Amino acid sequence: MAALGVEMNVAQDDGETNTAVKVPESVLRRDQARLEEAERRRDVKQSQTVTEEKSDFFTSTFNAEKTQLEEMISSCNDREKAAKTLEEATVKFQQLQKFLNDSVRFLTQYEIRQAQESLQKLQSSITDKREEILPKKKFAFRSRNTSKQQQPTPIQQQTADKPAPGSVGTVVVDAADQCGFSNVDNQVLVRQAEEIQQRDVLLSHLTHCKVRLYGCPSTLHIKNIRSCEIMCGPVSSSVFVDQCTDSTLVFPCQQLRTHNTTATRVYLHVTSRAIIEDCQGVSFAPFTWTYPGILDHFKVAGLSPDRNNWTEVDDFNWLAAGTPSPNWTVIPESERICSWDFVGTAAEQS
Amino acid sequence: MGLLTILKKMKHKEREMRLLMLGLDNAGKTTILKKFNGEDVSTISPTLGFNIKTLEHRGFKLNIWDVGGQKPLRSYWRNYFESTDGLVWVVDSADRLRLDDCRKELNALLLEERLAGATLLVFANKQDLPGALSKDGIREVLALDDIKTHHWCIVGCSAVTGENLLSGVDWLLDDIAARIFTTD
Ligand SMILES: Nc1nc2c(ncn2[C@@H]2O[C@H](COP(=O)(O)OP(=O)(O)OP(=O)(O)O)[C@@H](O)[C@H]2O)c(=O)[nH]1
Ligand SMILES: [Mg+2]
Repeated sequence: MAALGVEMNVAQDDGETNTAVKVPESVLRRDQARLEEAERRRDVKQSQTVTEEKSDFFTSTFNAEKTQLEEMISSCNDREKAAKTLEEATVKFQQLQKFLNDSVRFLTQYEIRQAQESLQKLQSSITDKREEILPKKKFAFRSRNTSKQQQPTPIQQQTADKPAPGSVGTVVVDAADQCGFSNVDNQVLVRQAEEIQQRDVLLSHLTHCKVRLYGCPSTLHIKNIRSCEIMCGPVSSSVFVDQCTDSTLVFPCQQLRTHNTTATRVYLHVTSRAIIEDCQGVSFAPFTWTYPGILDHFKVAGLSPDRNNWTEVDDFNWLAAGTPSPNWTVIPESERICSWDFVGTAAEQS
Repeated sequence: MGLLTILKKMKHKEREMRLLMLGLDNAGKTTILKKFNGEDVSTISPTLGFNIKTLEHRGFKLNIWDVGGQKPLRSYWRNYFESTDGLVWVVDSADRLRLDDCRKELNALLLEERLAGATLLVFANKQDLPGALSKDGIREVLALDDIKTHHWCIVGCSAVTGENLLSGVDWLLDDIAARIFTTD
């Protein structure tokens, strides 16, 4: 642009006084060089910052729209026009939500949550404004709402009188269908494939235990665990890990969802991704355990033995794009365990 | 009156519906959405924000919103309530430990005034698993028979095999269509 400007000036200055004057070669060449240099610099910059710019673009556009919307809402005090303004605000709000949705692919989780939080605030300020300015509507909602809320009360009392099976509170958690171990200290705990049989397995409140699950749970819940070594066959859906400390976890799964966990090593095979939240000092290495029949179990669980995304960990608490989260690390190869203690390998029995 | 009416009119013309899929994390919402759309379901990760899919089905244009169900994300659910025609509540029928959580979250949603007009479809998902509680078991635990404020229906399904996904969605569309496309 600047180069073009120079060119025009030159042409004008000379062009008006002397008719057939050419723009001097040297000026043209200099401009050409300048143009090329500028372009080169732009190219370099662009390739470096493609993702940053996208998210910058998102942030600045989103914030500009957000500010506009906030002003629109806060300046809406005229009862006559309020309904129309709030409609417009709602449409704008929905557009903004759509914009966020279209952008999620290149945003960090932190940016997504920030934007969602802003949307939530905007939405409540639209609602608040509507209630403040258009009280009639609010009344209408209220009356409908109260009649709705009153209804369930007598019904619940009825069910409380008759001991109806499965009424609220008597949740049908049948211990026979639940497979796992709870409240155990210092023991070796083993389950075989035929005990697990694609059911949900719960391991909770265990300390200093060695756990071996030679089968495929549908979901594995690991909760309140300290100083344990837990190994499990292929899990067809998720493994949930919550409040786990100073332990070693070894399993293949489709998804891993880790919360409130510290100082824990995970030897992982995951076919989609792992997430961590409120975790510190969690370290990952590829799954290395094996037992007779494990390949069949991969099949039963519907997991591909060839696809392992163990390094793809999303941290819900980590804000920066590009810089890795300090809450998890990769276990250095030299420190990885490759052979595990044999404990109750009864898979051969069957 | 107001935007809702206008939106309804616009939708009316296009026969468009907005469906909101919610449920606890790991219930299988994203898997259901992808399976319904004929996509690969083996690489799905936990949803960090939300997914939207626009599908054509039986001459309806469906805008389906699938929002992540992990606990910290649940406070964002309310961002998606506006102008929802159908609420799809997805339950992991094998996750007996969290059915009580599941009931509480559903009950809270049913009190939301912005969802007051929505039809409720409950998918008792993962029926392919041997440890899954039956559709009727889920109906009892969630106390669905106590719901008097919404049209509702429960369907046992499996997102992995695809069983009953279609019949559930068809019921939902019929119920919504009867309500929004024929009243005015
Ligand atoms: N066996 C079986 N597994 C299922 C079924 N539906 C989903 N899954 C598994 O359950 C896990 C969770 O599924 P998702 O679709 O990610 O669950 P979600 O409800 O979207 O979870 P969030 O995004 O965290 O809210 C995945 O490993 C799926 O493969 C089903 O019908 N049967
Ligand atoms: Mg999901």
